[in-house]
Amino acid sequence: MDGTRSARLVPVDDDPDTGGFFEAARRGELVIRECAGCGAVLHLPRAYCHTCGSWAGRWRPVSGFGTLYSWTVVEHQVHPLYPVPYTVVLVELVDVPSVRFVGHVPGAAALVAGQRMQVWFDDTAEVVVPRWRPSR
Amino acid sequence: MTATDEEFSHRDRCAIVGIGATEYSRDAGRSDLTLATQAALAAIEDAGLAPGDIDGIVRCDMDTVLHNDLADSLGIRELTYWAQVGPGGVAPCAMVGQAVGAILSGQATAVLVFRELRGRSGRRFGRSAAPDAKVGGAGSYDEFFAPHGLLTPGQIFAVMAQRHMIEYGTKKEDLGHIALTCRARANTNPAAQMHARTLTMDQYLSARPIARPLGLFDFCLETDGACAVVVTSAARARDCRKPPVLIRAVAQGSVPDPQPGIQFPALMRASITELPASSVARTLYRRAGLGPRDVDVAQLYDCFTITVLLQLEDWGFCAKGESGQFVADGEIDLGSAVPINTKGGHLSEGYIHGMNHILEGVRQIRGESTSQVPGAEVCLVTSTPLPPGSALMLRAA
Repeated sequence: MDGTRSARLVPVDDDPDTGGFFEAARRGELVIRECAGCGAVLHLPRAYCHTCGSWAGRWRPVSGFGTLYSWTVVEHQVHPLYPVPYTVVLVELVDVPSVRFVGHVPGAAALVAGQRMQVWFDDTAEVVVPRWRPSR
Repeated sequence: MTATDEEFSHRDRCAIVGIGATEYSRDAGRSDLTLATQAALAAIEDAGLAPGDIDGIVRCDMDTVLHNDLADSLGIRELTYWAQVGPGGVAPCAMVGQAVGAILSGQATAVLVFRELRGRSGRRFGRSAAPDAKVGGAGSYDEFFAPHGLLTPGQIFAVMAQRHMIEYGTKKEDLGHIALTCRARANTNPAAQMHARTLTMDQYLSARPIARPLGLFDFCLETDGACAVVVTSAARARDCRKPPVLIRAVAQGSVPDPQPGIQFPALMRASITELPASSVARTLYRRAGLGPRDVDVAQLYDCFTITVLLQLEDWGFCAKGESGQFVADGEIDLGSAVPINTKGGHLSEGYIHGMNHILEGVRQIRGESTSQVPGAEVCLVTSTPLPPGSALMLRAA
């Protein structure tokens, strides 16, 4: 997928609540946050579990496969690092369907709702970012 | 805990007695403070009051004009109450709600509610706010969105529109009917920026795409301008210049899984084809003792066409998933089930971030609209984009 790598906005990777996500990505792992007390999914990642009142959380590795929930093909450019057209995908995890992630696919991708998607790890910049592409 | 209606009812106890606006343009050529002052003076004049009668001010959190800026500019000698509501487009109806709360709790007697923005010549919402340095953190959660090029409100609503199409078979033309309806109302409103420009379905469908499935005419108009209203008690309202427009009820609301941040995290909600309007609707209808069939005319928050489509379902004007057919059948047109956005809305009059909808609601109840719904007695006004929402039910005294 080298052809899809390019300069892009770099995420903050040392936030107390979300830094672990990018730390895992550096290891090539896609993780979600869950409560260590009751197992409730905490997405987007946060410290407190309002289901059981626990502050103990952990990062849980997931398979890296998803299905396409929705998308938009962006045609009007708003940022110099994101030349149009490009596609923003919203992916639902196969393992945990209540969890979605956003991803960037170059160009005006030909997509179908529900199609299989797969994560890959973009290490172009100093922070590794999990991205999504149609699964082959 | 929920207050019972008997305990804390505000029903019909306050009124909007004055409305004022500047012109809507792409470049106002004057300061934010001047715009706010002009709209405020017009609203105070419309109420038959003087600036010295105002003792409360409510603003939107995204406004550049502060309470004291406006009080100073207007020569208000003693402000006893001020408040702000946000974020952004969620604010206007809730701002009126703050005024109601202040008046009924004795903290103020006449409250000025305003929104001013230079949305075209100043800071533009359509532009990415993302810097070139690292993005996100500090509770914004932008680190999960901006690196993937999800950068503007239009892009997130495009993802929601696509999902509505996936779930319910909604067509691009359905969104087009909303754009065309709002445009037709603007064509009879000389104050609308699109007053002189008609819009056909062919033009709509062939317009340049911005974030598919949304194109140029699915987006509201970045606008310079200001709007203000004066709220007072129903008792004091009787002494004002024009017949009072009663605030039947006001409500704020959020969905059960609101998600953090301003907008992008809303894509993580269980449903992205439902706005917080569904929650606001339940509360507002209960407080008002009215339902969707009682609404004679509605001003629905339309930053994009899709927000209108979703709200028609959320507010119970049609069943879930049937809004596409509902608008295709012309049910949002004059003389139909629920005429909407009778001045052209944000799509074709101007985008004063929800505030011009309140002014038009008042005009409809007064019988002053350029697209008057005959005998309109109940008008719904919504400020329900994301992440939560607010709304007003206005009615004739």
